[in-house]
Amino acid sequence: MGRKTGFIISKIAELLATLLVVSLLTFVAFSVIPGDTAQVILGPDASQAQLDALRAELGLDKPLIVQYLNWLGGLFTFNLGKSAAFGVPVASLIAERLPVTIGMSIIALIFVIVISYPLSVLSARRPGRALDQVFSVAGHILFAIPPFVLSLLSIIAASALFSGFRAGQYFRPEDNFPGFIGCLLLPSFCIALPKIAMTFKYMRSSIIEQNASEYVKNAKGHGLTDFRILIKHVLPNSNVSAITVISIVLSDILAGSLIVEQVFNLPGMGRLLLSGIARRDFPLLSGMVFYIAFITVLLYFAADVLGSIADPRIRLK
Amino acid sequence: MENISAERIRHIHLVKIKDLTLKFPANGKEPEHVVLDKLTFGIRDGEILGLIGNSGSGKSMTCYSVAGLLPENAVITEGTIKYQGKDLLSMNAKERRNMLGKDIGMIFQEPASALDPLMKVGKSLDEILLSHGITDKAERYNRISDILKTVGFDDPEKIYERYPHQLSGGQRQRILIAGAVLLSPKLLICDEPTSSLDTVTTVAILDLLRRLCVEMKITILFISHDLSAVKNFCDRVIVMRDGKIVEADTTEDILMNPKNPYTAELLTNARLDPRTLDLTHAEYDPENKPVLLCKDVSAAYTASLWGRWDENLVLSGVNMSIYPGEIKGLIGSSGCGKTTLVKTILGLMRSEGEIKRPEGSIGAVFQDPVSCLNPAHSILWHLKEALRPMRKTMSKEDIQAAIDNAVDTVGLDRSYLSRRPNELSGGQRQRVAIAMCMITKPKLIIADEPFSSLDATSAAEILKLLAKINRENKVAILMITHNIHIVRAVCSTVAVMDAGKIAEDNITEEVLEKPSSEAAIRLLDAEKRLHS
Repeated sequence: MGRKTGFIISKIAELLATLLVVSLLTFVAFSVIPGDTAQVILGPDASQAQLDALRAELGLDKPLIVQYLNWLGGLFTFNLGKSAAFGVPVASLIAERLPVTIGMSIIALIFVIVISYPLSVLSARRPGRALDQVFSVAGHILFAIPPFVLSLLSIIAASALFSGFRAGQYFRPEDNFPGFIGCLLLPSFCIALPKIAMTFKYMRSSIIEQNASEYVKNAKGHGLTDFRILIKHVLPNSNVSAITVISIVLSDILAGSLIVEQVFNLPGMGRLLLSGIARRDFPLLSGMVFYIAFITVLLYFAADVLGSIADPRIRLK
Repeated sequence: MENISAERIRHIHLVKIKDLTLKFPANGKEPEHVVLDKLTFGIRDGEILGLIGNSGSGKSMTCYSVAGLLPENAVITEGTIKYQGKDLLSMNAKERRNMLGKDIGMIFQEPASALDPLMKVGKSLDEILLSHGITDKAERYNRISDILKTVGFDDPEKIYERYPHQLSGGQRQRILIAGAVLLSPKLLICDEPTSSLDTVTTVAILDLLRRLCVEMKITILFISHDLSAVKNFCDRVIVMRDGKIVEADTTEDILMNPKNPYTAELLTNARLDPRTLDLTHAEYDPENKPVLLCKDVSAAYTASLWGRWDENLVLSGVNMSIYPGEIKGLIGSSGCGKTTLVKTILGLMRSEGEIKRPEGSIGAVFQDPVSCLNPAHSILWHLKEALRPMRKTMSKEDIQAAIDNAVDTVGLDRSYLSRRPNELSGGQRQRVAIAMCMITKPKLIIADEPFSSLDATSAAEILKLLAKINRENKVAILMITHNIHIVRAVCSTVAVMDAGKIAEDNITEEVLEKPSSEAAIRLLDAEKRLHS
């Protein structure tokens, strides 16, 4: 028991240490980049007195270490200050855009799992045969196409095929939830496609590897059917190793969504980030960069913990 | 182990194999390969039939043919296999699968990896019953408890909840046996079930199999290249070579007066008789400075980043020395720390205490020559790689000479240099591993069970080779093994390990004739039972 609690505590300590480093790097990066938040807010015509006053108000005249500690405190209380460009709190800007990005990521992940798993099982049944070859080649092609190209192609294709489809349409989730999900489907699919190829490739070789293992041979010797061996033995074992891959896929999906949102004209984190960059909105950018890094670190952490729970060899050590 | 009465054997055949011919058809890379050539033999109801022969003789394929578990590219071109009069080869895949577990049980070689690591062992057994259509939960649980008791677990409830990694090798093999006989099959096929177990465990597993044979009236087909396991266990033995039967007779007749010269050669190799095998070794001088000195060496595997390094000591206070020219045997049951000691001596493990290593390099030969060599590269590449630490100071001619010399020393033809590991046999790969040691001119070679994955003939050849290297080059060898024959044949001294300590370390005759430690007595007792 003591060992298990120790394991969890040490994992959480690792997580906190990583986040601290991430926050420090983010802060230092934005302190080094040239640009002045007060100047952005007041515009080029502001007088020196006005700038000094605003700097004092924002705390920008204090030593860097104090600024960092203030900012760090703000991260934990979701008080990131006001956006220089939009004049509203950064936290509320992020909260407003989050549903689109999170929604797209979840739908894309569902696409990845629902499509890549059956395909990899089919492919791994008879490696090297025609079906496997076709899937593998298709996978390579999909893997090589960048998501924004896929997005453009899919918009053209969807417009041609469905008369009701209108590119760039968006419904707010609180107004029309099915419509909101509907307008996320195609962009999610575009983000998911290369990841489907990646997960397929990994799962396929993992299943082939498990199929060659001694315990599968043994289960066959006991007269278990292939299907039973697949469901009860092979897939659970493949899943343990797939957890890491899926966490990487998920963080890739998040990154991918930033670009695809732009193509589909969806008001998500990606658009917010781009407009923040265009207007040198440092409070907004530093907050977003930190939270994106935070989600990524959290994903890997979750994968790590899940992996150790799923495998009794680690769990019961 | 005394032979139990032969009354249980009935003079009818449970399985009859006639003219069985099995081929791997030619594909793009390889020509057609005949694995079994008109094989004909019967398995009598109630007997324990041994099937022996070197690697590649077709033993395993014979089993897989009977069980219906042949690889997809193998083709049976001729012959019949009849089980209780039913023709197995005319059945479809589903009918044959239904027979597995119910009529025919199978046990494989590797208990370490033959159980699903994510599943409790009870659940694994439950899967077998479920897939054979037994739906009543209480009945399944009772049957599993019963069979766990039968195979020697006193507390089935506790074992049911264990994961494979929480069990020892012997316990895992018991679980696998439990799984194989769970549905009371008439025939149990054992494909080298003891070859990865230590002697004490081997004896226990053979006892168990024999008991099952009597109590559950199970007929056993027992494949092995370990003749000592066959000796007191099988009623009859079939000797196979190149897919054909060389000789078939009662165990006694085969082992005592083999009629076929091939069988005789197999037996000589298996016995490792020093006189016939030319196993004389170098004289060593204990007055000399030792090539290796371990003083109070401790080592541990650290689990966590912040845990104390010595939480779980695998070695605690090991003292040992090896002198120039000495061959020291290191024996002990599985898990006693032999391999950890090897890693520590090689500097692959963090350790405390004093280790004085010889100047220059230490050679190492490991158990599994398949995974020790890089399949993507030629033998020449491997030898050059071994030279890497000293290659800078050598001229091209020096390197060439060193490579030729190493290959000649281990008796490999120079034409093998351009081949890849998968084109070599197990024995040849082990020779490459030894050549990779010899090329660095070590004063000490550590051989960690270098024979256990080889058949008797290759094992004898590799042993001869190591003895010759020791004699001619005065290289000291630390030989880790669980085969007492090998110790007796070549080792001048032997150390017995138990629970991370050296329990006894003396000249071979002393240890084998008058063991003083409990660990040594236990090991030798099991050995005696196996060979009596």
